This record gives sequence, C-alpha cells and structure tokens, in this order.
Amino acid sequence: MRRLHPRSAVLRVGRAAVQGAVFGFFVGTALAGSLGLPAWVGPALAPLGATVTGGFALVRYYRFRYEIVDETLAVESGVLARQSREIPLGRIQNVDLRQGVLNRLLGLTIVDFETAGGSTTEASLDAVAPEEADRLRRLVQQFDRESRDRAAGTVDSSADETDSEASSESAADDEVTDLFAFSWRDLLTYAVVSVRPAAPVLTLAGLPLGGDLVAAIVRFNLTLVGAEPALTPSVLEPFGPPRLVALALLTLVEFLLAALVVSVVLTVVEYYDFRLFREGDDLRYQRGLVRRYSGTIPLSKVQTVTVKENVLMRRFGLATLVVETAGYGGGTQQSEQGVAVPMAPREEVYELARDIEPFGTFEFERPPTRARRRYAFRFAVVAAVLNGVGYAVDTFLLESGDWWVLLGLFVLVPLAAHLRWRHRGFALDDDVLATRAGFWSQTTRIVPYYRVQTVFVGRSPFQRRRDLATVTADTASTASVLGGSATAYDVDEETATDLRTELRKRLYTDLLARKRARRMDESGR
Amino acid sequence: MESLHPRVRLLWAGRTVVFASVLLGLAVLADRLVVSVPLDLVAVGWGVLVVLGAVHAVFAHRIWRFGLQDDALFLVRGVLTRTDTSVPYVRVQHVDTTRGPVERAAGLASVVVYTAGSRGADITIPGLRPERATELRERLRDLASESEATDAV
Repeated sequence: MRRLHPRSAVLRVGRAAVQGAVFGFFVGTALAGSLGLPAWVGPALAPLGATVTGGFALVRYYRFRYEIVDETLAVESGVLARQSREIPLGRIQNVDLRQGVLNRLLGLTIVDFETAGGSTTEASLDAVAPEEADRLRRLVQQFDRESRDRAAGTVDSSADETDSEASSESAADDEVTDLFAFSWRDLLTYAVVSVRPAAPVLTLAGLPLGGDLVAAIVRFNLTLVGAEPALTPSVLEPFGPPRLVALALLTLVEFLLAALVVSVVLTVVEYYDFRLFREGDDLRYQRGLVRRYSGTIPLSKVQTVTVKENVLMRRFGLATLVVETAGYGGGTQQSEQGVAVPMAPREEVYELARDIEPFGTFEFERPPTRARRRYAFRFAVVAAVLNGVGYAVDTFLLESGDWWVLLGLFVLVPLAAHLRWRHRGFALDDDVLATRAGFWSQTTRIVPYYRVQTVFVGRSPFQRRRDLATVTADTASTASVLGGSATAYDVDEETATDLRTELRKRLYTDLLARKRARRMDESGR
Repeated sequence: MESLHPRVRLLWAGRTVVFASVLLGLAVLADRLVVSVPLDLVAVGWGVLVVLGAVHAVFAHRIWRFGLQDDALFLVRGVLTRTDTSVPYVRVQHVDTTRGPVERAAGLASVVVYTAGSRGADITIPGLRPERATELRERLRDLASESEATDAV
C-alpha cells in the first residue's frame, strides 16, 4: 500500500495544529474567565490543542493508504472508525486532478475518483505528487482500454504477454492530439459573452464586507441624485418620479457593470489556459489560474452531450459543449464540471459532438401552435400581475399616476410566447434523441437511445386542457445545473405516447445491436 | 393494469390528518406563548385540509395504476399533474419491499424500484398487500435479470 505525499502530511498537520491552537486558546481563555483561573491558562492551552489536533492529523496521515492492485483501487482510512474501500477500476467514471494555491507551491495534486451512484466523490487522494497522480490516471485509462479491447478480442488476454504488450501499446495509443486551446482573446470573448447576472449577487453575498459595500454604493447613488445619504425609505419621500427613475437607472447600470466585471474575472480565473486534448478514447482538459483543474472524460462512458448557446453566443455563431458521464454526484459546487469546450464556433462544437455520439442534422419538431397560445396566456398572467403590483405601488407610494406605462408589457407577450415556442422542440435521429429549449440560453441535449433510463410523460391540468404533454427521457448523468434529462416540452398528446413507445423500443434494439456488434467483433478475429 | 389496495386511501388521508394536526398544534402553541391567533379560523383551516386530503386520497387512488408490460414497468399517477412513467426492465438496478410502522399497522407494503437515473432514480409503488409486494419484487427481479443489462450504467 502507498501513502500520500509526505509534504501533504506537513500541510495537513500544520493546518490542524493551527486550528487546534486557536481552539485551545479560546477554550483556555473562556475557562480562565469563568473559573477564575490565572490568565496564562489561555495561552498555555494553545500548544496543547495544537499537539492534540496535529497529532491526530499525523495519525490520520499514517492510517491513510491506497493502492491499485488486481484491477481494483483500494483505500484504507480512518483512525477511530476504520474504513477500507475497494473500487473496481471498470466502475470509475472520471478521474479529476486539482491543485489549490498551497498545493501548487508544494508541488502536490489532489486526485478525485468518481463512480456512478453515491452523492459524494468516492475516493479522494489529498494529496500526491503530480507524477503519481498522472500514473494513477493512466492506470485507470489503460484498464478501460484493455477491457474494451478484450471485449472486442484484439488483445490476447493470456497473462504472461499482456504486461509488456499493454505497456508498449499504451505508449503508442496515448498519442495526444490537441483539440482545443483558449488564447487570451478567446478567453476574454468567452468571459464577455457568457456573462452571468447572478455573479455579483453571489460574490457580494460571499464577501465578508459585501453588505457594507452595497450600502456604500447606495449612499453614493443617493448623493448623486441629491438626497441625504441615509439608508431609510423615508429619504425617498420628497422624490418626484424623475429622480426615482434616475436612481433606479443608475443602480441598474452599476449592477450590470458589476455583473460584467465580476463574471469576467471569475471566468478568467476559472478558464485561464484552458486546453482540451484527446488521448486515445478519452478527452482530457486542464484549466484554471489560481486553482488548476484537470480531468479525463472517457468517451465510452458519456451519457449525454449538451450544446449551450446563449443569445449573444448565437449572434456570433458560438456554442458551449458539455459532456456528461454518470460520475458526479449532486454537483452543487461546480457548475463547470463536464465542460468539454467552453466556447468555440458552432460548427466545430457540433463536429466534436458528432465525434462523441454520431448523429445527423437535426430537424426539430416544434410544439403544436396551441402551445404558443398557452405560453401567451402564461406571459399575459405575469404581465397582469406586474401591472397589479405597479398599480398598487403607484397608488399607495408614488402617487404619480404613471402606472399605465406598465401596460406596455402586454405588447411583449406575443413576442415572448413566440420566442419560447420557436426555441422548443425535439428531434428523433437515427441513434439519438435531441431536445432543445430556451431563448436566452438555448440548450440542446443529445441522448443516445441506449442511454435512456426511465421515460416520464407528464401533463399538468393546463396541459391536459390543450391535449399537450411533456416527455422526459432520464439518463444516468448528473442532475446538476447544466445536466439532467432530455425534455420535450408541450408535445401533442398522441406524439407523446408515440415518443414514449419509440424510446422504449429503441432502448432495447440499440442495446441489443451494441451487444451484437461486440460479439461479431470477437468472433471475427 | 392493476390499482392499489383501497386501504391506501386511509393511509394517505391519515397522513394529511397528522400533518394538519401538527399545524393546529403549532398554532395553539403560538397562541399560548407568542401572539393571539384566531383559533376558530385555524380550526376551520384544519377541517378544510383534512377534507382536501381525503378527496385527494380518493382521486389519487382512482388514478394510480401500474402494470408489468413486456419490456417495462409502467405507472400512471398524479392528481393534478398526471405522470406516466416507464421503467425499462434493463434499467432496474435493484428492488426493495419496505414496510414502515404505519404501513405495517394498515397491513400494507411498498415496492421501491431503483434505477441509475438522475431524476426519479427511485420509484415507489405504495399500498400493496404484503404477499403481492413480495411477489412483485421477485417478478421484477427476474424480469430485470432476464433482460440482461450488459452495460453497467
């Protein structure tokens, strides 16, 4: 069994000791205060705390051992509750490598192994030397390739030959081709077009002084429009509508600027020096300015392929490619997981997608036109509610009598309904189901028939009135922000039933065809 | 297509009664300790909830159907949003029968079918007679292994 890198022990023990020292100091001071002990008890307890937690971290380091033997990753860990875990290599979906700032300074890499099922990372080695990380990644990759070849009958599995053969072969197979790299220009373009309006909100909420910062800006705005810089609603009272509008516009512009700056910075930090390689049958990416990430996406384990284009990207013919395996569980922390190509010209993205899952040109079937009436109705309700709110605010607070301006929203209703309708649809290709939805951010999800799990057909009361249904083909990929299942919204009731039958049929025929192809390969050699 | 045991209505209606009563209890507590609450209104609310729960249970039972088709387990459910679900046998990972304390008291059992999917990875068929639940579980297990899932996920 192997141990983690000694420098990671230093890091962990150091971190634990600092925490223990702080904890000991506070407990000691509190005890000294409440029990009337002499004042030196506080500082005296700090080294004690550091020794205990540091020692514990050291023992944990010595207890943590791992090894890849007999096609299995074995991990032993735990001091009080001991755990040993074995993961068959064939079940590993992704291997991810990451380095924080400290890890980079110390020359360490964290290795995460993901399997399907389970909501957390199944095995995390924190941390090993970069060469060791690379070795582990290669072992998993090599195992995948060998088992695939064995299934196809290309590798003679007699034990004595395989070792030397496999290693020489893997050297040949590991030919690395560059698929894609971000230049500074690409990176900045991507950062601008993928602007996330929620970014400043989340960042401000995360900053310790976020609230104070917002307050300072609001005060500044108030002085600009000539009011007292006090944060109470009463300062707004002597305001006429023009000044209120000016204040609102000013704040909006600032917010948008902040959104732009914050999300550009975040994107640059996240995707700095993004590169995508192809290694045999795997995609490998690396990215990150402060923290470095790299990982492998085995193409044979891809569940869904997603193409995302927001309004701006569509305008410039750009798209994002997301490739999902079943590996990540409840991926809340990283919406970036599975991003194979953050941004590239649309054709290139589709070319790569076809390389992963072959498909033709989609001809999307749009929902029936009565679905558009449904959307129009829905948007009209939203507009009516906004009008109601506007009317109430105007009557009770502003008394300007200008609430009718909001009636203009109704003009937008048909347009919005049409756009929503136009961007929804599904297509049944030879081997894949494709669904598409979203105007602001259009998502095209491509699911091979043999990856379909459960098929849901749902009808809300409003859909039933118009004979519409929503069909969802679930896959084993991750239910993250980007991920999830392929959904065909508001299709005709009859089409929905046909689609369900078709998906069920194709699942079996495609699974069988794949199995037969594999067997043919075997007997052919 | 098979429907659920009629007694499951009692179970579902009972669940809303418990839920409504907990709300009622909270309201009474709040009334005693914090602010005065219009308790007669709360009582009416309790009644409305209980009646709604009972009506919902009746409809839910009437709509709930499931059947073993030749390649998939098929279920229809949902009072407001009606959903039909097909779970292909190849995709069944494992099958459980469960009997909670309340279900045991009502003499009922549930079957839970697990898939590797991301949404609705576990699908529950409630309100079965215990013998039927066991039988269904064994049947589903056989169907799943007959369909020979060669792909792990």
